[in-house]
Amino acid sequence: MGTKRQITEYLDIDLEKELWCCNRCGRELISARENYKKGCRVYVRKDLTTIYGSALKGPFTFAPDPEWAMLVEFYCPGCGVMVENEMLPPGHPVTYDIELDIDELKKKYLKAEKK
Amino acid sequence: MRPDPQKLLQWIKPNKPTEKELECLKLLQPGDYEIYTEKLNNFLLESKEVFLKLGVSSMLRSGDLVTGIYAPSGEMVAAWCGTYLHAVIGQLPIKYVAETWLKDPTVGCKDGDIFYCSDPLYGGIHNCDQIVVMPVFNEGELIAWTNAAVHQPETGACEPGGMPLTAKTRHDEGMLLSPIKIGENFRLREDLVEMCVNLMSRAPRMQAIDMRARLSAADRLRSRLVALAKEKGNDFVKGLFRRIIIEAEEGTRRRIREWNDGTYRAVTFMDIVGEKHRLVRNFLTLKKEGDTLTWDFTGTSPETDSPQHCMPHGLAANVAIHLMSYSFADLPVSAGIFGPMDWKVPEGCMFNPHFEAAQSNSAPSCHGAMTLGTICMSKLMFDSPQRELVAAAIGNTGVGVLISGVNQWGVPVADFLAFGLNTEGHGARSDMDGVDAFGFSHCPSGRAPDVEDIENEFQFLNLVAKLSRDSGGFGKFRGGSGTETIYAVNYVDYALYNSHVKGSKIRNCLGLFGGYPPPTLPGIEVKHTNLWEKMKRGDKDIPTGAVQLITERAIKGDYEISSIFKKVHVMENGDMWVVFSGGGGGYGDALERDPRAVIEDLKKQAISPWTAENVYRVVYDPKTLDLDEEETIAFRRKEREDRISRSLTWDEFQKEWSKLRPPEEVLEYYGSWPDGKKTREIIRM
Ligand SMILES: [Zn+2]
Repeated sequence: MGTKRQITEYLDIDLEKELWCCNRCGRELISARENYKKGCRVYVRKDLTTIYGSALKGPFTFAPDPEWAMLVEFYCPGCGVMVENEMLPPGHPVTYDIELDIDELKKKYLKAEKK
Repeated sequence: MRPDPQKLLQWIKPNKPTEKELECLKLLQPGDYEIYTEKLNNFLLESKEVFLKLGVSSMLRSGDLVTGIYAPSGEMVAAWCGTYLHAVIGQLPIKYVAETWLKDPTVGCKDGDIFYCSDPLYGGIHNCDQIVVMPVFNEGELIAWTNAAVHQPETGACEPGGMPLTAKTRHDEGMLLSPIKIGENFRLREDLVEMCVNLMSRAPRMQAIDMRARLSAADRLRSRLVALAKEKGNDFVKGLFRRIIIEAEEGTRRRIREWNDGTYRAVTFMDIVGEKHRLVRNFLTLKKEGDTLTWDFTGTSPETDSPQHCMPHGLAANVAIHLMSYSFADLPVSAGIFGPMDWKVPEGCMFNPHFEAAQSNSAPSCHGAMTLGTICMSKLMFDSPQRELVAAAIGNTGVGVLISGVNQWGVPVADFLAFGLNTEGHGARSDMDGVDAFGFSHCPSGRAPDVEDIENEFQFLNLVAKLSRDSGGFGKFRGGSGTETIYAVNYVDYALYNSHVKGSKIRNCLGLFGGYPPPTLPGIEVKHTNLWEKMKRGDKDIPTGAVQLITERAIKGDYEISSIFKKVHVMENGDMWVVFSGGGGGYGDALERDPRAVIEDLKKQAISPWTAENVYRVVYDPKTLDLDEEETIAFRRKEREDRISRSLTWDEFQKEWSKLRPPEEVLEYYGSWPDGKKTREIIRM
């Protein structure tokens, strides 16, 4: 593990390099001081029947209304694992969901490591 | 005078201990804290049982209720939960009574007094939630308060069911009681009971019985506390109460301190405003610094002329359901938990509206915020010793479906169909699937009422009640399944039906770490059916599920698939309708789900063959359901490669995405796009 810390199911932070990395394949994504989503491949799933099926026809089904919602999927560019997704109205800004205090994190864990 | 919203919000937090209380702490011998905390919990359990057995309305009978013990200052000491939100806001009317009426010469407060309230402006949640409060005196000294609260499904509002979608102001919402003294000498005053019952002329019997059920529960608790004080002394009780609050606060701070400092954000969307499908946004920025948490809801859409609002204290109490049932579930349910927390809820947003705003739909309006709390806390707790408490969101549809009219016994009724309400899917966790049909989003311990029991009480047949296929969010761990129920009007010529269920356009439940949100929920009604004929004939093709009902159409009638959200309307004898409760959010990438778990899901019909193939990418023999492990690995590898080739870089994505925008009509109440700032004044008549 070295100086890596697992922050989510699919993301580590390399504390010395200050980088978000894929937990599955190790791929380095982007600076840990940035939104990790910027380091991912991004896919906009406009047709949500590809996930929720099409058992019902018409304007009301088991899939969200495409004028109201799309799924934005974030993949690791190395291994293609889905790191996160967001259900957003079309064009709504992507959320900067995890903004860690990197200096505090380094203080907390690198110090402990050196001990 | 009515307390201002900021004061009510502050009242959720514990007070500084008094000198006297600190002195009383010393009366506790080793072991006393553990023994007598447990004793209080037993008192609560007993009072809950009394409550449950004496009441009649459906949420009460489902256990969606609370009984609580509060310090003389009004601080929450312990509660049976039940509805955690009611435990938290239970403090506020008590603090109001203590501050305002205790020394008022025209009111006062003595042994045997009974207070009653329901107005959110005085600390309640919404008009429906009626709370009884009793002071506890021993040897002339006020040593505690007890309460008992439960949602009353009729309020005498402009529509049946207490939560009118057409309400424009609080004046459309029926009875709103500021805390009043409703009884003395341990008895309710019959003139005041009559006033309440008279206001509830759509369901007078329920009001009359449930008021007494509340009082009986609170009084049982009161009598147990008096006995405890007689045995151990008033000062011992004071010390015990303060110790519980201190333990909870210290435990909460200790846990928060261990977590990573940072800022966590989440956004979710609700698809109902008033009677219309419109988009509004809920936004949370959760800041963790040292041993404190700050909950900032800036960015939430503005108030409207609808009843979908909540007061800041109600918002905090709803978000606290997650805190008390996950993050701090092992600590006492007391005010101490809120010591390290601050709340920022901007004035003029839907969670801090003008006092004249309608807010009868406040509890369902908080479901998005409840999702946000769960998601932000889970992201905060993943890299911590609390990883096992990490979860995607609960269904959070708040299955508010109501039936009213005159039942088969000639009695006027207006009540929830509490089966769906108490069977939402739990969010998937970091190490397991979400619990199927776990309970009520506001009350994890809530239980769906017995089907035959409710058929006896109400004018309908419950044709189907079962777990709903493909209803939990897909992921490495699957969100808990919701349920589907099919009803038909029975015995009577007609009944009135309405539904506050959200999520036909977009769900406000989220998955976590690549887990998918659960599907949307359509509304299905079939009118002028031949159901009774078919049942009489003993036809074998009567549907056993919602999709079967709509695709096979074995029952003749006029089929309508529209929104699950319904204004109050007439349903005639034999007319049928479907209620879905929402499944929970999924956790992790669906391609990482153990293929054997996918086969198990197929066997128990938790998912469809279509989902196994297209979402989970599992290869199996459709006849024997034998898994082909090698082909599955290859199928999944191919999908991962496809993901990389079909996706864009961040910059490419931004260029395309920023050009999109929902239709103007959908954004009518959203506020400014995309940041949800107030764009107009609301004028209320
Ligand atoms: Zn990877």
